[in-house]
Amino acid sequence: MFTTGSKLFVGATVLSTVGAIVFGASVGGPTGTLGTIGLISVAIAFGFLAGINFFTRDGNVPAMEPGVEVNAAAAQPPVGRSMWPLVTAVGVGGMAIGAVSKPVVFKVSVILVLAAVVEWMIQGWSERASSDRAYNDSLRKRLLHPLEFPILASVIAALVIYSFSRIMLTIDKDAGRWVFIIIGAVITIVGFVFAAKRGMSKGTAGGIVAVGLLALVGVGVASAVSGQRTIEEHPHITTAVCLGTASEAEIEEVDAKGSQTVAAKSSVIANVYLDETEHLFALNGGIGTVEYQEITVPRSTDVHVLFHNDSAEPRRLTVHLGTFPAADGTAGSEIADCTTAIEEGGEAFLTFRLDKSQAASSTPYRLTVPGVEGQEIKLLVP
Amino acid sequence: MDRSEKTVTTLGDMPSPRRRWTRAALVGLGLVLAGCAKDAPQDYFQPKGPNAQKIDDLQRPVFYIAAIVGVVVLGAVGYIVFKFKDRGQDIPEQSHGNPKLEIALTILPAIILAGIAVPTVITVFDLDRKDDTECIINVTGQQWWWEYDYATGDCGGVNIPEPIVTSGELVIPVDTPVLLRITSRDVIHSYWIPALNGKRDAVPGRLHTLRMQADEAGLYTGQCTEFCGLSHARMRQAAVALDQADFQSWVDNQLEPYVAPEADSLAATGEGTFIANCSKCHQVNGIANADGTPVLSDPDLYVVSGVAPNLTNLLTRTAIAGWTFDILTEECRTTLWETKGEGFGELYLQGVTPECFDEVALREWLRNPTGMKPMFADATNLESTGGKYRGMPNLNLTEDQIDQLIAFLIERK
Repeated sequence: MFTTGSKLFVGATVLSTVGAIVFGASVGGPTGTLGTIGLISVAIAFGFLAGINFFTRDGNVPAMEPGVEVNAAAAQPPVGRSMWPLVTAVGVGGMAIGAVSKPVVFKVSVILVLAAVVEWMIQGWSERASSDRAYNDSLRKRLLHPLEFPILASVIAALVIYSFSRIMLTIDKDAGRWVFIIIGAVITIVGFVFAAKRGMSKGTAGGIVAVGLLALVGVGVASAVSGQRTIEEHPHITTAVCLGTASEAEIEEVDAKGSQTVAAKSSVIANVYLDETEHLFALNGGIGTVEYQEITVPRSTDVHVLFHNDSAEPRRLTVHLGTFPAADGTAGSEIADCTTAIEEGGEAFLTFRLDKSQAASSTPYRLTVPGVEGQEIKLLVP
Repeated sequence: MDRSEKTVTTLGDMPSPRRRWTRAALVGLGLVLAGCAKDAPQDYFQPKGPNAQKIDDLQRPVFYIAAIVGVVVLGAVGYIVFKFKDRGQDIPEQSHGNPKLEIALTILPAIILAGIAVPTVITVFDLDRKDDTECIINVTGQQWWWEYDYATGDCGGVNIPEPIVTSGELVIPVDTPVLLRITSRDVIHSYWIPALNGKRDAVPGRLHTLRMQADEAGLYTGQCTEFCGLSHARMRQAAVALDQADFQSWVDNQLEPYVAPEADSLAATGEGTFIANCSKCHQVNGIANADGTPVLSDPDLYVVSGVAPNLTNLLTRTAIAGWTFDILTEECRTTLWETKGEGFGELYLQGVTPECFDEVALREWLRNPTGMKPMFADATNLESTGGKYRGMPNLNLTEDQIDQLIAFLIERK
């Protein structure tokens, strides 16, 4: 009456039911509740499978039935091993975990499930396409390899890049260059060995590559877990630096790596010079040698001036961008921007934008050089 | 439709080959004759300044050479097509190549191109000269109008003590090399007054220069020549050249202090309407609130480009909304456009007089700007621009408010 498969599932159902009763009675608290629910779920699942098996009688076909020689399970070509049910299960589990933890886990799991289902379906179809197993296998490859190889290669490349980036973000900046050199050297040497030893089997080569990949991903995961190194934030140009109210140390650090030359010299609205006598003036493009003490600037657009320091001292050019009431209605403070300190003979670009007419600001728009008294160029914004 | 009613074209209905040729010839003749139109203010074969003249001096010989080459090539092709038409004759003897002919056909174009290259390079460098500049004007493009900021200092012998800002009409002194510093606030535009020089792109973040000079007082029209969005075709401009004395008068007038409308007049009500509805974006220099505080516009808070035309001297200009819609009557406009040299300055400096004022366009513009000029100024769809308008929105003004505003604006001269 009961087939072999049915007996197995009936036994598993009884066992898990008993287990659920015993566990539920002996273990209390949330753990007991959770475990009992899990075991009851398992019992229900086994019961369901036992019912299906009982109904189909293990797929047995009576010996006298017409067409038994082709319909019997034994007459079917044996199916190959498949990892897709497992991958699907992992994906479904991941979806459940992702639903209560991180959306990215859920999304990756959905992709995994979809990919596994497609693979599973095509494998299932191809294994029954004919009685020739080799032909069936070639069918599957023809359909899926054009998808599998590029996707797999992309995933592996992404893994390598991501792992490597995590490593580089974790290790010390100086150690980074050695890591680059060593990994690059190892890859070159391994590539040379592969090329030189032509008799090397695919398995050996694949194994070496797999070990290297696993090592990289492993270290990458460990690096990601430990987090990136502390990156020091260096001071940058601020209004305080430009107006000289920042600390000496801050100003010194801002100026330390300032470029002294510029490559792009076109598009400037004026060349601003501080000459050897510390006289500040502007030359409007195209006007020749006429010195200007004011520049008319269009509003609401980026404009550039090119600062030339011909004085003996390192100097910066500061643009005073006006003073406007704060959002809470109180009097605001002056805004400024500037170049870094430029050595004698050096040049620097200064780009700024004035959105409001000069009448809106309680302080004038102007260009000055901190440390040089009585010299300024007015910026007129109609 | 009843089958019997269908119009069926048969070979019998087709025009005869002779008639077809006649029609094609007439169309071609019409196209050719269109080039002879005299009322073509943007014809770049009519230079009115030294820079445009240099371009014309280069393009005419190039055009003639190209025309001769074109006629010879097309004539030869036509001759060969008809002469050697397949009439069932035997295939002639086949030959492979003709070295002498091929060498000649390589060398001849090379000589022609080299001959063209020399004056082209000279002209390009000559047009790029800036060392003779006598006046600087900042030209800034935005969707869909041009703004001009006059730098302080000397401009062709006329001192500009304070910056002047205007739009649409570029007013320059005659016989003065003016340097335009051209940029853009939003997308790429291109500035072109064909009678005075070539075109120059206006690129955000960059400053391009263009020398402009007019030989004779007059009005020279142009338009944006780089597709810049929905109303590119309605982004026009003009250069107005004035004699030095007239230019001095124009500068003086631009810097005149604001005169408030007469109390209790319609214009005075219009001033209040302007402050309430327009001054967020448009500036009228010198206008003040009732408590005496100056009214300052903040177009950077409301408009994508960050600016709106300054209306201080609106009625000194002859067209509005990107110099697209005339506010002069047709008769006055024709007179102004056709007057050159002597008398032009006087005519222009009158501004838009009551006799010449055609308020139709201004009224309609105030009533429904987006209907007159397509813009992305839909108040219900500002998501992509961070809540800012791209162009002038419809303010839903009442007819009374429009009357008041017109009364106020007509005094802005």
